[in-house]
Amino acid sequence: MFFRGCAFQRLPSLMASKSKRIHHCFAAEVAGTVAQSTPKRATTMTTESSMADAFSKYADYLNALNEKRERIVKASRDITINSKKVIFQVHRVSKYNREEVLEKAEKDLAAVTDQYMARLVKELQGSDFWKLRRAYSPGVQEYVEAATFYRFCRTGTLLHLDEINATLLPLSDPSLAPLQINVLDYLLGLADLTGELMRLAIGRISDGEVEYAQNICKFVRDIYRELTLVVPSMDDSDDMKAKMDTMLQSVTKIENACFSVHVRGSEYMPLLGSNDPNSILLGVTDIEP
Amino acid sequence: MKLAFRNAYFSLSSRSLNPNPNLPLLPFLLRRVSDSVAPPSLRRLVMETPCSASMAVGESESHAPLSSPPLEKQFEGFCVQLDESGVLRERIRAVVMEIESTTRLMHAGLLLVHQARPSPEVLERPKAQIGVLKELYNRLAEILRECPAQYYRYHGDWRGETQTVVSLLAFMHWLETGNLLLHTEAQEKLGLNNLDFGLDVEDYLIGICFMSSELPRFVVNQVTAGDYDCPRKVLKFMTELHAAFRMLNLRNDFLRKKFDGMKYDLRRVEEVYYDVKIRGLTANDDSTGDTTNQEQPQGLV
Repeated sequence: MFFRGCAFQRLPSLMASKSKRIHHCFAAEVAGTVAQSTPKRATTMTTESSMADAFSKYADYLNALNEKRERIVKASRDITINSKKVIFQVHRVSKYNREEVLEKAEKDLAAVTDQYMARLVKELQGSDFWKLRRAYSPGVQEYVEAATFYRFCRTGTLLHLDEINATLLPLSDPSLAPLQINVLDYLLGLADLTGELMRLAIGRISDGEVEYAQNICKFVRDIYRELTLVVPSMDDSDDMKAKMDTMLQSVTKIENACFSVHVRGSEYMPLLGSNDPNSILLGVTDIEP
Repeated sequence: MKLAFRNAYFSLSSRSLNPNPNLPLLPFLLRRVSDSVAPPSLRRLVMETPCSASMAVGESESHAPLSSPPLEKQFEGFCVQLDESGVLRERIRAVVMEIESTTRLMHAGLLLVHQARPSPEVLERPKAQIGVLKELYNRLAEILRECPAQYYRYHGDWRGETQTVVSLLAFMHWLETGNLLLHTEAQEKLGLNNLDFGLDVEDYLIGICFMSSELPRFVVNQVTAGDYDCPRKVLKFMTELHAAFRMLNLRNDFLRKKFDGMKYDLRRVEEVYYDVKIRGLTANDDSTGDTTNQEQPQGLV
């Protein structure tokens, strides 16, 4: 078909600009084409060719957009998987192996940042940050979860958004807008963090580190409280609201576990981790919830 | 270690940092301290980890020698940020409501074309609304200039209306010229540009799909009103449009659904064209013995 051939000849020049801000270059190219076509004779020949030309440009635009979206989704998935690995690694912490576990976790987290977040940085430019947010948000949330989880186990404090974003700055070319995690993804990741902290708290109680669990309890309570003030103002706060319900459940689970230990503390506290060969509970580790 | 903690405990409580001494806090402080790595950092940690749950924030900020709780501060910052964007969103929604009422006027005006053979006057009033729309979109652009690069954050708020606007503009353009309104032309009509506040390509394409669903109804009413050439023109246009759309590689989203609907519109128009043609109502160049209406444009079927 004549018109299709015409359109394909124009493609090479369009390819070069694909990697840049597609959305912004788009109108300039389309405008250029329209100017090139024969002026103001309302014959259908002009209509057909300009319609086909215009649509071939729209096709290029959509293809580039969808391909970019695919790449971002893949990067996001990789970030998710590897962040989860960091979280599992941190979960292995106990009284005896704390340093080594956390060191390895730190290295793994740095790898996620340098390898996988870097890919996101490469792909996302300008209007992409918000336009394609749904494609990368899950990965970023998981990353925030992993980073804040590691930080809590390391220092007992909350990793702030500016701090995470500071670590991401070096990944970007200084001439381009850097990838900065936005407030919404940070808060969503924080909500997931509380779930992991709940697991950690239960695990620590099983290992006899009751104080640690109580610290976690306090920390999670603080986060929950702060979030209740902020969540209603979030854009599309529906998924966050669901997470708040889950978070309250996590907090409750930790509180109940701490309560159980507290109430029965005198019954088994001194015997936990006991090396006393006379202890009848030597070697027994499980605790009733 | 225990001795050190007890000393720390007493020194903290004696300094009464917190006007609202919240005793359960202090043991927490101590336990946090117990997690710290090295004793030299102990004192620094104790100094820096404040009574985070201090509810009398205002007071503690002015009395306490420590900085205000970092946990709260960050979230206060978030609150401010999110409230600002909420306010912005309200303003955007207000403008979009005005756009909506303008498009309703335009649509009502355009519905007149179904009633009789359209005269240019019918399009006058809808056309006058375009100026209003231009001004409203300009206001949107102004609002967004306050937060650059966040077009797509709020895009959902004007997406639907914009699609309707494009469909109305495209329909009017077709009624006037018989041609498809292109993306760049649509942008121009609304006074938008890609660098500042642009017309999203997908919104444009969906708008065109909406327009195409108006055409079957239009052609039916035109034939009823006596315009027997209309089906030929509409069919030609829709066939081209459908063919152009087929060049797009669409994924399974809303646009795809709308495009899928287009083939039913096309089929309806084909049926009308067929009905008119077999009854010899159209004046065709190749129709035998029919010499009425020779003023049709040449060779464009």
